[in-house]
Amino acid sequence: MPELYRKILENVSEINILEASDSELEDISRERSLGLSLGEMKKIREYFKREKRNPTDVELEALAQSWSEHCCYKTSKPILERTIFGIKAPQNICVISEDAGVVEFDGEHAYVVALESHNHPSALDPYGGAATGIGGILRDIVCMGAQPIALVDSLFFGPLDLPEKELPRGTKHPRFLFKGVVSGIAAYGNRVGIPTVAGMVDFDESYVGNCIVNVGCIGMVRKDKIAHSRAGDVGDIYILAGGKTGRDGIHGVTFASAELGAESEKDIPAVQLGYAIMKEPLIHACLEANNKGLLTGMKDLGGGGLSCAASEMAHAGGKGAEVDLDKIPLKEEGMAPWEIWVSESQERMMLSVKPENAERVLQIFKFWDVPAAVVGRVDDTKRIKATYKGKVVLDLDLDFLIRGVRYKRPYRVVGRDYSEREFEMPDLEEIIPRILNSPRIGSKESVIRRYDHEVRGNTILKPMQGLINKQTHGDASVLKPLKNSFRGLSITSDVNPILCRLDPFWGSASAVEEVVRNLVAVNSIPHSMADCLNFGNPEKPECLGDFVRCCEGLYFAASHFGIPFVSGNVSFYNESISGSVAPTPTLMGIGIVKDVRRVISVDLKKAGNLIYLLGETKREMGGSEYYRILGLEGGRVPRVYPERTKKKMESLLKAMDKDLVKSCHDLSGGGLLVSAVEMALGGDLGIELDLEKLGALRTDFKLFSESNGRWLIEVEKEDSEEFESLVPAKRIGMVTKETEIRIRDKRIDMNFSLNELRDRWDSAVEREI
Amino acid sequence: MKNMDRMTNACILIMEGTNCEEETKIAFEKVGINAELVHLKQLTGEVPRELKRDLFEYNILMIPGGWSAGDYIRAGAIFAARIKSRLMKEIEEFVEDGNVVGGICNGFQILIELGLLPGFDGISKEPEAALTTNLNARFQCRPVYLKHVGKCTFTEKIDEGKVLQVPVAHAEGRFTFGGEDEKYLNKLIENGQIVFRYCHPDGTPAEGEFPWNPNGSLYDIAGICNPEKNVLGMMPHPERVVEGIQHADWTRTHPSLGDGRIFFESIAEFMRGNSK
Repeated sequence: MPELYRKILENVSEINILEASDSELEDISRERSLGLSLGEMKKIREYFKREKRNPTDVELEALAQSWSEHCCYKTSKPILERTIFGIKAPQNICVISEDAGVVEFDGEHAYVVALESHNHPSALDPYGGAATGIGGILRDIVCMGAQPIALVDSLFFGPLDLPEKELPRGTKHPRFLFKGVVSGIAAYGNRVGIPTVAGMVDFDESYVGNCIVNVGCIGMVRKDKIAHSRAGDVGDIYILAGGKTGRDGIHGVTFASAELGAESEKDIPAVQLGYAIMKEPLIHACLEANNKGLLTGMKDLGGGGLSCAASEMAHAGGKGAEVDLDKIPLKEEGMAPWEIWVSESQERMMLSVKPENAERVLQIFKFWDVPAAVVGRVDDTKRIKATYKGKVVLDLDLDFLIRGVRYKRPYRVVGRDYSEREFEMPDLEEIIPRILNSPRIGSKESVIRRYDHEVRGNTILKPMQGLINKQTHGDASVLKPLKNSFRGLSITSDVNPILCRLDPFWGSASAVEEVVRNLVAVNSIPHSMADCLNFGNPEKPECLGDFVRCCEGLYFAASHFGIPFVSGNVSFYNESISGSVAPTPTLMGIGIVKDVRRVISVDLKKAGNLIYLLGETKREMGGSEYYRILGLEGGRVPRVYPERTKKKMESLLKAMDKDLVKSCHDLSGGGLLVSAVEMALGGDLGIELDLEKLGALRTDFKLFSESNGRWLIEVEKEDSEEFESLVPAKRIGMVTKETEIRIRDKRIDMNFSLNELRDRWDSAVEREI
Repeated sequence: MKNMDRMTNACILIMEGTNCEEETKIAFEKVGINAELVHLKQLTGEVPRELKRDLFEYNILMIPGGWSAGDYIRAGAIFAARIKSRLMKEIEEFVEDGNVVGGICNGFQILIELGLLPGFDGISKEPEAALTTNLNARFQCRPVYLKHVGKCTFTEKIDEGKVLQVPVAHAEGRFTFGGEDEKYLNKLIENGQIVFRYCHPDGTPAEGEFPWNPNGSLYDIAGICNPEKNVLGMMPHPERVVEGIQHADWTRTHPSLGDGRIFFESIAEFMRGNSK
């Protein structure tokens, strides 16, 4: 039997796949943690037959990176292309195709959006995994030439009070993960000086074995300074800037493209090590070089490291490139070429530069004390080459490497039980405090205040709103990104995975609706979205079926609202021994604020003002927090009626522009009750609700239904006539001086002390002390 | 800028990890003071000639907030150590000449590490106080109320007793003299060195109560100056609230200007007085 490995250089082997049997091909993939299937290994063998030679280990590793689900979206792309990629909008400048989406802000400026998962690293090393997630998303923004202005993070964990004995083997406790992830985001985001302005924290049993950490970033760029992730001209040189390359983060993408298990701890080297204080000057230096017009292209080194960055840049530019591995600054000695090629060490950027500008670029990096080195050059070969000690150790056709695989995997849409349950109305006086004490509903202040949300001084509407030290959750944050303009951006992040698990289509459509409602609530016009689709193993047909329905639901709602998806990320294989995570299509929504001086916050402003409910409350209890607390399953998941919602939102925005709205809150998790209480908490004022106006529905459904298309609005008495002439809302209550929540409906008359409810709400997750 | 002496220039000193420099520059510019972002290397001369700067080209030195060098050890320690090794003589002379030196957040931590504050007997060789980990051991980003209890160059225009709303954002802001709190606190009070104290909205002292006092600081201390009143350090960020719409609750209160602006206006007025 022929030898599989033949050493051709120090630290470089040739792998005899031309003569390997099928089972040997599988062994090679497994032993080297390549994550390549037999079919893919055979495809590689065919390619090297045509090349009339065997691959080196560097080449095989490069293919494993580029062909991982994480890098090439081999399963998801065909589905995304027929759904959410297809939404055209006039504001789109450069969407979907690069590391971040670029969208028009005003005549001169564009904003840049990216959203990404960092789930698997965070499940193993919550602090480091989450921190490098922030690092990675910042690079995605910077490589478009944009200054990052805001961070967003959406986090999903198992229940914090999970009994130790229910924890699967090899899994870390949700409380440990929660604390680690929040600390990691705070440590990196705060250090690098970009405010964390929005996000969400949610809990569900399905995240016990596999937490979800999605991080987003928004940047600003002048339109004439937009950079692209491609090599410039033939003869341009590659400059690698930033941190040195080490053994951390090897096989990050192939690790991210497999399920987590009891033995996943051994993959800890796949988690990168972040260093925020390299990132901060790296951002300065990259943007300075770009603004001076010295770059022909820029791309960050993320998943797949140097291999993906050098190859994808050359491919996107329609060129080829050659990289000299001896020139790469290394953290440690003795690294094999394949390790250098695929390491995902952090804080690195690849720049494409005209040779005559190289010295100036290197000087800029020197000023900021950021290492930078010339490592390669662009050619016209349409191949990627790497040399080591003067010998070629990698020489691959770029089309084969980048466009090699794509799948149409089988999927199955699984039906669920959507019948509404019949049950007696429980004691609402007992249920209402319990809902406010639910970790899914209660205050996230202890997380929000760990992040600097106003560094840079541009956060006009902050994540916590209302009277100082009585603040409540806002619907969206608002930034004023330009010094000389009052035009602003509103930012929110939404998804309700419980709805998506019961009904992937309507749950996902509801997420789009929630984005729309939140952005409108602060007086902004929904403008674009980024998505991060977190699902289980796509090789399981029912899992892929959920994914397909989710994409269709997103497409249905977003296309009707006319809001494009401008950037996105798919994270599959979010599974552990306890099963797949709930389908979690996290959305980040961006709105345009015409004038930041006219934004509206969520807190009640003045006793005597009137409370209006806009939108219809229906018995759509499937996936509601109310049902979850009662332990009820099934039920109809709220529907989305984009045309109706659009009309309502237009009328509401008109009233806001006329200054008729004093505060506004959308209705979502926990329904009318939770929204009303949150508004009262922020203003430290009471509220009186008369639910008879909502018709014949049972009181509990009126209070807890999560029907879409609804907002709660505070209006001054003297404005009521004008407001009513514009907005088809029902007047259902009043703001009161007494800090009480009073609810009346036919025979029901309940009264809750706001302070007692505040206490429940404050202590739901973790009280600020 | 028209009324200002041509020489009025603020040096906003930065190094890797400083991150509040842009908004600090804007705050100075809003009151008509020229401000330049200057990397420490530009003052110590470790850059090409055209980038070199001389501290005495400026008459205000401001060290802004951030996480200098990452603050992986005691906050501000590395930045201070770098200043001490290359620039201390100039800084001493700059302060003794009566120029204005300010430190916000990380800048305050650095001024303490440098011995410029509290500076009971001039600039001390070793730090005489510390800004240590918040009592709840957590980073805190939240609005606080400050009572202006003693004037210094930076606050000349602010009435004594005035309450300002300014945000904090730090993990290490608890002012302490370690085991000798009482002895030195009295000295601070006697010298009139306490400039800002955390308080309730009506100006009554926070008395250590969270969240009004966000970090457990001794005697609710939020900012102090040196006995000569030309060096000020404070944990809260006035540069983040120079406009009304930067306040946390502006949609309720609609202030026309931010509470932090008067702080920069005071410096501008002091400069105008000096240049006459």
